[in-house]
Amino acid sequence: MKSLVENLFDDIRIKEGLKACINCGTCTAICPAASFYDYDPRELTVLVQNKNEQQLKNLLSSDYIWYCGECMSCKTRCPKDNVPGLIIEALRSLSQDTGLFIESEKGRQQLYIKRVIGGWILKYGYCLYLEGVGTNTHPEQGPVWDWRQKNWSETLKRLGANYKGDGPGILRKIPEEALEEIRKIFDETGATARFNKIEEYSKKKAAEMNLEFGDGLDNEYFHHISTHNSNKHNRE
Amino acid sequence: MKLEGLKKIWKEYQKEIADNNYFYVRSCVRQNFFPGSETTFLRIMKEELGKNIYENPCHTTCTAIGYHGDIIPLDTVMTVVARQFALMTESGYENLVPSCITSFGLYTEVLDTWHHFPEIEEKIRKYLKKATGREFEKPKNLAHASDIIYKFCKEIAAKAKYKLINTNTGEPIKVVDHIGCHYSKMFPSKGIGGAEYPYVLQGMIEAWGGEIIDYPERRHCCGFGFRQFIVQANRGYSVSCSKKKFDSMEQYKPDMIITNCPGCPMFLDKLQYAISEMEGKVYGENGHGIPVFTYEEVAGLVLGYDPWDIGLQVHQVACEPLLDKIGIPYDLSKKYLDVNGGCLGKPEKANVLKTY
Amino acid sequence: MKKIIIIGGGIAGMQAAVKLSSLGYIVDLIEKEDDLGGQVKKWKKIFPYLDESSKIIEHITTNLKKSNVNIHTNSSISFVEKKSNTFRLISNKNKHYEADAIVVATGFDVFDAHKKEEYGYGIFPNVITNEDLEKLFHSNFAEWEEKKPEKIGFIHCVGSRDAKAGNIYCSKVCCVTAVKQAIELKQHFPNADVYCFYMDLRMYGKHFEELYKEAQERYNINFVRARLSEVNETIAQKLLIKVEDTLTSKPMKLTLDCIVLMAGMVPSKGTQAIEKLLKLNIDENKFLAVKQPVLSENESNQEGVFIVGTATGPKTITDTLNDASACALAIHEYLNK
Repeated sequence: MKSLVENLFDDIRIKEGLKACINCGTCTAICPAASFYDYDPRELTVLVQNKNEQQLKNLLSSDYIWYCGECMSCKTRCPKDNVPGLIIEALRSLSQDTGLFIESEKGRQQLYIKRVIGGWILKYGYCLYLEGVGTNTHPEQGPVWDWRQKNWSETLKRLGANYKGDGPGILRKIPEEALEEIRKIFDETGATARFNKIEEYSKKKAAEMNLEFGDGLDNEYFHHISTHNSNKHNRE
Repeated sequence: MKLEGLKKIWKEYQKEIADNNYFYVRSCVRQNFFPGSETTFLRIMKEELGKNIYENPCHTTCTAIGYHGDIIPLDTVMTVVARQFALMTESGYENLVPSCITSFGLYTEVLDTWHHFPEIEEKIRKYLKKATGREFEKPKNLAHASDIIYKFCKEIAAKAKYKLINTNTGEPIKVVDHIGCHYSKMFPSKGIGGAEYPYVLQGMIEAWGGEIIDYPERRHCCGFGFRQFIVQANRGYSVSCSKKKFDSMEQYKPDMIITNCPGCPMFLDKLQYAISEMEGKVYGENGHGIPVFTYEEVAGLVLGYDPWDIGLQVHQVACEPLLDKIGIPYDLSKKYLDVNGGCLGKPEKANVLKTY
Repeated sequence: MKKIIIIGGGIAGMQAAVKLSSLGYIVDLIEKEDDLGGQVKKWKKIFPYLDESSKIIEHITTNLKKSNVNIHTNSSISFVEKKSNTFRLISNKNKHYEADAIVVATGFDVFDAHKKEEYGYGIFPNVITNEDLEKLFHSNFAEWEEKKPEKIGFIHCVGSRDAKAGNIYCSKVCCVTAVKQAIELKQHFPNADVYCFYMDLRMYGKHFEELYKEAQERYNINFVRARLSEVNETIAQKLLIKVEDTLTSKPMKLTLDCIVLMAGMVPSKGTQAIEKLLKLNIDENKFLAVKQPVLSENESNQEGVFIVGTATGPKTITDTLNDASACALAIHEYLNK
């Protein structure tokens, strides 16, 4: 059985994103996550570079790998052609595929993304399908959004959409055959497997945490992972 | 800033942009948040520029938001991308034009990975064939929709009814240009003007009469951060990033912000509202905030399209002060009507941010 | 009597000329500028003892004048051919030369700091290079008039050790030059806060560590282990830089009045031109390739063509003068085989 280190270094994003880090700090200097969170892409890269199995296991189980916003500002500047953002992508993939993501507060949030974003992709063929997503869960959207939600299809129509319609156009109904192809791609390439893993591991963790677990977006565990913040993540 | 230094850089970073026969793939964020922008883009392409731009109704999301949310594995997103290429090939096109910047970044990244690791391209071809029976050619030209508008910004200027000039002072409108991170930070040579001083939006603004202002946090991410915004518990990250930018640009007194990524204008618009509610602070003049526009909206405005056709009514930060400055007329009584002129009610007023 | 032609009148070419002349050869020294001295004369004081560079140049020039070297300024070579063991060369002035051996001493250029776009050189007026600063040392800051900077930052490794800039090698002399210039700047503006932003401090040479110690103890220069990521301009036209202090893991922004980019060494335009003209091999860093590292550092891939000085890679002045002497001896051995 392959070690975590071996699995990680099989990822093409490690080949592309980790050459050799010399600790110069150019990436951390402009990383948005490093300015707000107690996070340092330089330290992350050096840690991964160490290829230490226990350190890697700890990393995959920690909040540390979930702070990055994948803006890729680091890629533009590194003098050694490293890409901490790509390393993060590889770490997050491995963390989910091994189930270690459920050990951290931020990692557990993957269930939210899987059910919401993943749900929309499989059901509608869009990453976002926002009818009914209102300011109760997204207060930052404001009163104009409330008005839009009240008049969702009318405002879309006003602006030239083909909402739920056949043929081309904004937020059209994506044909069932196309969605079926996406599902087959998901099955063939490991997305379905990952989605299932996210569910299984989350269910186990909910039981451990004594939180009610159910399908959909309205259960104790789901609310907890979407909203809970220990407030221990910020840089002093 | 010394212009000669900038011109030297811009000359280094020019890229090939196809001039017609485009295969258009839509943006999830754009369609939900700024649908008028995609409508306006196609209108300009077809009616003003006479271009052939085609949308295959079987195309889907490229799943980049899922990929950068880390729920979608790399092989999956590459195969979905391959499917988009297959639809393009099947439809007889070779010039791919994504509406979304994250898509554009993803397509560029996938093509680059396949270039360096041809065995991965082979693997994905096999996956696609097995899952869907499809085969594909890689696009000959890949350009973001904002690159296309940049390419034709002078043609648009020639047809423009309005200029980005403050009619009260005669001065050019002061514009902050915000470039989506995934446009050129990953592959500077694939962005007009490169990664440090991107020119794609500046070129448009200058062609249309405005003036770009620089400020220290210009290159900073707006804060989408994918999972950092999607999950409510993390959203402080997004607010902090946008706030950093607003605090930095404020003293330069911009009249407006222009963006080329679909998500960025949503954040820069809505988070001004959020900050006003959280801290009581409003940027810009007269408590209105700094209006945020998509490049399609700015193009539509200078061409004289009705602001409510291009979709300004869905903005939270009021656009009217900017329209007043430019001298673009608008009928407030028609702002919140449906397509037949029927009444749809009105949004409530915000507590702090002054709205029209 | 055997003839040698030396292309390049910087200190490498001058030194080689002196040594070869003393060994009895007829030497033609070709220099494209108006005067000899190359890059060294641009630098007012040299490390590590902060002697005037003119002292070095004068010393070699005196020896050169005493010798029988034929000096040809404002000249460059535009044509070369080899017939049996003799080279025939023609200059831009249409002068013909014959030589039994050629020495390429065409040196280095300073890295074009415009290429590090995010550092703002050529965009923000208060961003200057190490080369620009030496001009100010020469003119005693005449161009700055009343300007009194309060906070100045030296940025190490500009265009060196940087895959994004296209040069992954170390330019060897910039670290100690930064320390030297920081000290000189402090001598000029004693109340200024001076910072050096570095990845490593390469203090390998004689008296380098002592100079670094003096910089810290006597001149209070702040050394921050942080590589510059980005430069922006504030509304007051000061420079806002973003770095991470890697020793304390703190990303930070600093406002400075002026920054000095320590631009590294690249093969000069003259070196690139001669490389093509003589079909010389270049190494992985695009400097002229030596025939064998360590064992034959002055022979090139072309028989009879010798290479010396910074045309083959970054060097200190001491390295260069020694290299030139070694080159003269290598040619002497070659011509007496």
